[in-house]
Amino acid sequence: MRIGIVCPYSFDVPGGVQFHVRDLAEYLIGQGHQVSVLAPADSETTLPDYVVSAGRATAVRYNGSVARLNFGPVAAAKVNRWLDAGEFDVLHLHEPVTPSVSVLALMAADGPIVATFHTSMVRSRSMQAAFPIFRPSLEKIAGRIAVSEDARRTVTTHIGGDAVVIPNGVFVERFAHARRRPAWTGTPTRPTIAFLGRMGEPRKGLPVLAAALPAVLAQVPGLRVLVAGPGDPDEITEGMPAEVVQALDFLGAVTDEDKAVLLASVDVYVAPNTGGESFGIILIEAMSAGACVLASDISAFSRVLDGGRSGALFRNEQPGDLAAGLLSLLRDPARRDALAVAGRRRAARFDWSVVADQIVAVYETVIEGRLAARSEPRTGWNRLLHGGAGR
Amino acid sequence: MIHLLTWLFAALFVIVVVGWYLSYTAARLDRLHVRLSGTLAALDARLVRRAEAALELANSGLLDGATSLILAVASVDSLESPDEYGEAREMAESQLTEALDASLSRHTVEALRARGAVGDEHLARIVSSCTRVQLARRFHNDAVTDVRRVRRKWAIRIFRLAGHTPLPRTIEFDDEMPEHLSREPAAG
Repeated sequence: MRIGIVCPYSFDVPGGVQFHVRDLAEYLIGQGHQVSVLAPADSETTLPDYVVSAGRATAVRYNGSVARLNFGPVAAAKVNRWLDAGEFDVLHLHEPVTPSVSVLALMAADGPIVATFHTSMVRSRSMQAAFPIFRPSLEKIAGRIAVSEDARRTVTTHIGGDAVVIPNGVFVERFAHARRRPAWTGTPTRPTIAFLGRMGEPRKGLPVLAAALPAVLAQVPGLRVLVAGPGDPDEITEGMPAEVVQALDFLGAVTDEDKAVLLASVDVYVAPNTGGESFGIILIEAMSAGACVLASDISAFSRVLDGGRSGALFRNEQPGDLAAGLLSLLRDPARRDALAVAGRRRAARFDWSVVADQIVAVYETVIEGRLAARSEPRTGWNRLLHGGAGR
Repeated sequence: MIHLLTWLFAALFVIVVVGWYLSYTAARLDRLHVRLSGTLAALDARLVRRAEAALELANSGLLDGATSLILAVASVDSLESPDEYGEAREMAESQLTEALDASLSRHTVEALRARGAVGDEHLARIVSSCTRVQLARRFHNDAVTDVRRVRRKWAIRIFRLAGHTPLPRTIEFDDEMPEHLSREPAAG
């Protein structure tokens, strides 16, 4: 199959959608498909050979956060050239309502189109205002995918119709083979927990974890908190009690391999995110690596953890509940092991081999629908206005 | 005189704008109708393949006689149901779904798996055809929703841009995966 994938966000910076697009493309190429990815990227950024740059991205504030997007007439011309050269059997757009190359491709393309919706949109008012402009283009999408029930709800309420839920994929194997590193592995007196993510971003929940720590440290003074992710430690620790600062161990930004090792090593992986997550790929990575997960009960996380059967949950933004949950896990190695085992089993459902097969089934359905489309009996008006054109 | 010309041009302008809008809307509706006919045909093809997969399993000799009969009757009913979608067709498809769920009990699935590659192949075909029926029906109903929304527009109703094409309706039948297959980790 010749597959064209469009990613609206710049490949210069890491991000969930970019990783999803990259992994999907690589998996499909491995299966023998011909794949081309169009995405914004700087000329200096080294890209995998299947990625075509749509040009330099501009940082724009959109839907509550700053995104690096690509738009304007030059980008539109690039998109057209890419579409013409590609002759794709199916076009797979990601985030088709983000003002970037996905929208441009949707407007220009004419063929079997699949779209994946990643976000659960919060700013519904402004989106609603913009939809009438997009509406006719959105009608070209023959197959809609949502990565989660939350993302699906966004589709049903704002766009109408429905979407099939196909979760994000993870290369489970890459995490399952991670070996423990002694420096990060907990001991009975000095257990370790991990936090991953941009520490300066409040919705990643580091402040919630920090607020829970004094109560935990009072019971388990030897606890070490390994914090991995970009950010300035001095800025974060400002105003925190001395014993909390002492327990924190900042690792900085880590590589994918180190992330897997970290998740495999620690006693508990804590995900205190307060919201804005539509999926929770990190939880699946943690479960694949065999970590025992303790996460906030935001709906995306609760679904990934199967309502608490594959990992422990605490009430969102409640440091007291986090502390209680963490303490009970730290004291109960048998429960930690049981959750880790359940987590590994759960993670297998999200392996790319399962997920990509479902996506290919969507491609095939859409292509079949296109090939089977017969000419409708044309109405008088259509004949009058269009003659033979428009097909 | 000049006054009259101004009015004439204004009227001409309005006519051109309305004309453009009508032609644009007609093209939009036309594209949607084409998409709709495609999704319907795809659903049709997927349903036929599902019924064939079920019939082949029924005739494979891998199942006991009673189960084979239940599955065979439901598959043939689906294959012989009228081409047009309506209550009869939807009923037949729901019944095939029900028959698949009833035949593929936990014991039957285990017994088929125990047969090795032959059994696995049959089950894989059922799983894949059920998934594809779900996708095809979802995508068709999405297209129906889009068509119905556009056809509510005043321009389309007043100028009868839809011609005599009947208003499509969503296709509703039970397309759940058989319970004991949906738990398979490799389902997909």
